[in-house]
Amino acid sequence: MTPQSVYSDATRTTGDAIIELVGVDKFFGHFHALKDINMSVGLQEVVVVIGPSGGGKSTLIRCINRLEKHDRGRIVVDGVEVSDDLRNIQEVRRETGMVFQQFNLFPHLTVLDNVTLAPHQVRKLPKKEAETLAMQTLERVKIPEQARKYPGQLSGGQQQRVAIARALAMQPKVMLFDEPTSALDPEMIKEVLDVMVELAEGGMTMIVVTHEMSFARAVANRVVFMAEGEIVEVGTPEHFFTNPQEDRTKLFLSQIL
Amino acid sequence: MAEETRRTRPPLWRDLRVLRVVAQVVAIAVVGIVAYVLWFNLTNNLRTAGLPTDFDFLTQPLGVDIAGSDLSPGAAIWRGLLVGVKNTLALVVVGIPVLTVIGLVVGIARLSTNWLVAKAAGLYVEVLRNIPPLLIIFFAFNAVILRLPVLQESINIADLVIINNRYLAVVGLTAQPNFGPFLWILAVALALAIGVWSWRTRRSDRTGKSHHRVLWSLGLLIGVGLVGFLALGGPIGLSRPVLDGRALVGGYVGLASYFAVLAALALYTASHVAEIVRGSILAVPKGQTEASNALALTSFQRLRHVVLPQAMRIAIPPIISQYLNFTKNTSLAIAIGYAEITRITFQTIGNGQPAPQMIAILMALYLAFSLTISLVVNLVNRRLQLVTR
Amino acid sequence: MTIEAPVVDETQIAVEPARGPWDWAMKNLFNTWYNTLLTLVLGGVFVWALVALVPGLLGADFEIVRVNLRLFMVGQFPVDLLWRPWLTTFLIAILIGLMAGSIAAGARDLAEEAGLPYAATTFRQILLRFWPLIALVIIILGFTTTITPTLLTVAAASLGLGAYYLGRAQPRWVRRWTWLLAILLILGAYLALAGFGGVGWEDWGGLQLNLFLTVAGIMFAFPLGLALALGRRSSFPVVKTISVAYIEFIRGVPLITLLLAGFLALGFLLPRDLRPGFVTRMLIAIVLFESAYIAEVIRGGLQAVPSGQVEAAQAVGLPAWRTMRLIVLPQALRATIPAMVGQFISLFKDTTLVAILGVTELLDATFIVNSQPDFLGQGLFVLTLAFAGLVFWVGSYTMSREARRLERKLGVGER
Repeated sequence: MTPQSVYSDATRTTGDAIIELVGVDKFFGHFHALKDINMSVGLQEVVVVIGPSGGGKSTLIRCINRLEKHDRGRIVVDGVEVSDDLRNIQEVRRETGMVFQQFNLFPHLTVLDNVTLAPHQVRKLPKKEAETLAMQTLERVKIPEQARKYPGQLSGGQQQRVAIARALAMQPKVMLFDEPTSALDPEMIKEVLDVMVELAEGGMTMIVVTHEMSFARAVANRVVFMAEGEIVEVGTPEHFFTNPQEDRTKLFLSQIL
Repeated sequence: MAEETRRTRPPLWRDLRVLRVVAQVVAIAVVGIVAYVLWFNLTNNLRTAGLPTDFDFLTQPLGVDIAGSDLSPGAAIWRGLLVGVKNTLALVVVGIPVLTVIGLVVGIARLSTNWLVAKAAGLYVEVLRNIPPLLIIFFAFNAVILRLPVLQESINIADLVIINNRYLAVVGLTAQPNFGPFLWILAVALALAIGVWSWRTRRSDRTGKSHHRVLWSLGLLIGVGLVGFLALGGPIGLSRPVLDGRALVGGYVGLASYFAVLAALALYTASHVAEIVRGSILAVPKGQTEASNALALTSFQRLRHVVLPQAMRIAIPPIISQYLNFTKNTSLAIAIGYAEITRITFQTIGNGQPAPQMIAILMALYLAFSLTISLVVNLVNRRLQLVTR
Repeated sequence: MTIEAPVVDETQIAVEPARGPWDWAMKNLFNTWYNTLLTLVLGGVFVWALVALVPGLLGADFEIVRVNLRLFMVGQFPVDLLWRPWLTTFLIAILIGLMAGSIAAGARDLAEEAGLPYAATTFRQILLRFWPLIALVIIILGFTTTITPTLLTVAAASLGLGAYYLGRAQPRWVRRWTWLLAILLILGAYLALAGFGGVGWEDWGGLQLNLFLTVAGIMFAFPLGLALALGRRSSFPVVKTISVAYIEFIRGVPLITLLLAGFLALGFLLPRDLRPGFVTRMLIAIVLFESAYIAEVIRGGLQAVPSGQVEAAQAVGLPAWRTMRLIVLPQALRATIPAMVGQFISLFKDTTLVAILGVTELLDATFIVNSQPDFLGQGLFVLTLAFAGLVFWVGSYTMSREARRLERKLGVGER
């Protein structure tokens, strides 16, 4: 079965496609990391990508905002193609927010400065306005009281919420999450997932790479299973967790559930 | 697909692929222009000054005397440089083992449980490390060597060592009749000792008993050597240094300036090596000692099998880079007139040879030394990494 | 000899309280037969050294240093312009005080925000940290013949102290501009010596020249080193190759060869009407040399910045240049501060090399004075070299201790 045929019976929810991947290939040297990926994500859709490690999940979302350069195919984000054009790359990065597994907060800046940096430097908002905006987003992730501290003084869960706020402050159209809870202690995972659930309910378009099946079940419009650089199976959470079709999917689910 | 890519091709000034190429072309152009201007000036200035622009002058006569060498001023310049290389290597080859031993002893002494030993080693390191090496060389030469008596009034210690302000001579060894057979006996003894070593090791591996292989092998070597020495009627004799008029003959004679540079730089570099040794031992994680204690290893076993092997891995690369520093610092010998390559280059230029070429040769020689040592560093690093992973 | 285990069994320390000097000595000096032997031998050597050397050194007539103190400090600087080096000293004292005050204020604010207790540096801590420097100043002042230098030194120290309190009291928004004031002070310190009818650096000498060559060497080499470090990490193969070739070439040759090149060959490389002065040529050689080492220091700092930092900056849309300026460099340069101080110390020691080419810095001055008619052939090198050695030692030792303190504070090496 080709990925396309699975793709065709996948549930499409609201709106037009905001992210479109057509025939995307990616190599690391001789390693074929992404094999002919075709996928589209609709406006306000939440797509959860699952699969064994090394299967290309992170590479996939890192290609979308050009942290990795894809070798073949087309990636279009909100009508802008991700290409060698500097302006396009900047435009796509402005419109997509990204949250990393290791938070990647800027340790030499305060929490507030972390969140203010991009709106001020990239969106060219005046400093005052950027700070107001930053405080609003910090309130959304429920840690406005930490604004003056440095990242090193916060817990992992708090840091990841700051990272979400940093991405949100750019008012992106799409949010990319790269295993946002994998580096967290168990008791901190919930506070981050809560923020993400709220975000999804607020209508944010999201692509989430995660191992949190509860999150996928609760929030995802679609679940994508990737292995060995391919999209193996796509479907609704119900379809996925009750009636998976592919052997590789069944094996994976049996191992983690 | 092809059509689409053409449609989306960005203008040149925003295309990353184009920008990459342009940036590199600009870099090449800038470096090229600078190099061209320098080269243009160089050849022009050399011609105006009536100096050669090639390296043919190396076969012309040196024109100067080299201290401590019997090369005549009529010899070719390149032969003078060769003497310089020899003299530089004489510092490097003797200096590196000496500074390693001092550095190891002092570094380990800093961690001694003996309070006085630890403090003395600390004093040595903190004092030597923070003084310019050139100043130490000057001190060794001007404040120590030059205050020694002149040749005619040399200090003579039991005909074993003769010291004055120009030379230092120590008793040497000379071959007597039967020296050849004695060497053969030694070679056989060495082979036997190695055999015994591996036998003791295998026996210990098999039975679990202590091997005492150092004791066995060394005992065998010394025993056979001694018997051979006596049986052949003393195949090695002593050559005592003697003051003969205006020269020292016999034994090993070296220039005092050589020993001043050697001592000063070895002591200076050893202070850095000592710090590396100490830091490396301390850098072995606590858990390693705790794990060894949990396995009931004795403190010697812990050091020998757990701590030191790991400390060595940390210490060797920085120590080798200290060897590199030592090698480069031998150039400071120019300050007290010891005839290593920098000194000879300086003399030759003073004698009217073109400075740019001479300095280029000098730099190339040091680069050759450095690259050789770097090569060793890389080999060692690769070896160490293989061991870890 | 035994090596103390990297980890001493903590229970042993805990149960054995010190019980007087006798027990202490038995435990730390005479606990085994070989330690006893070592203690006796080393102790003997120390006592012998004390008896043999100290009276000689203390009883020695330091007339040669006393007479030539000015030469050692500022070389041949004109006597009627000596107010200029003093003015520079004042400005530098203010600079150091101001910077120390600002840093202290920054640390205080940080501690306050984190809700941690903040302990200001006490006078006793200052004494413990800078006793060699204070002792050296007192020794040097001991060699002066009038009271004026002492009074001026006290004045400089007071100015520095005042600047420290001023720096600490600055409100946050003023502190943001302190670096500008610092640059003005450095510029002023230079102009005080050379500007408005002063003496240019070609005619400087003594310790002043060593300090100048060190500071100017690092300052001019820094931008070059930064460019080389970035070049070495560049993804452009050509730029990378050029940077690596330069860095490895310079690191493979001794400084003296570059000084020789500056002294003897630089003239050939420049247009005929461009003939920089002696000290300038030495400075050029030092800058070319030092830039390669600074590049390596900065490269170390850049490597300490995780790649996730760049990715995060790119993901929020920062362009490459601003990612470098706002995210990577601030973190990388902060991590290099201790190594940079180390580089400063090693250059400070290396500035003595210009003596080989006859530039009258401090080490060279110790030779000049030994050929003065009054002191010729009296074997006074021991005294003059000991004096110069003390000056270099105090400078290097103090800085290296401060660098180690900073290293601990910044937590470099812990991560």
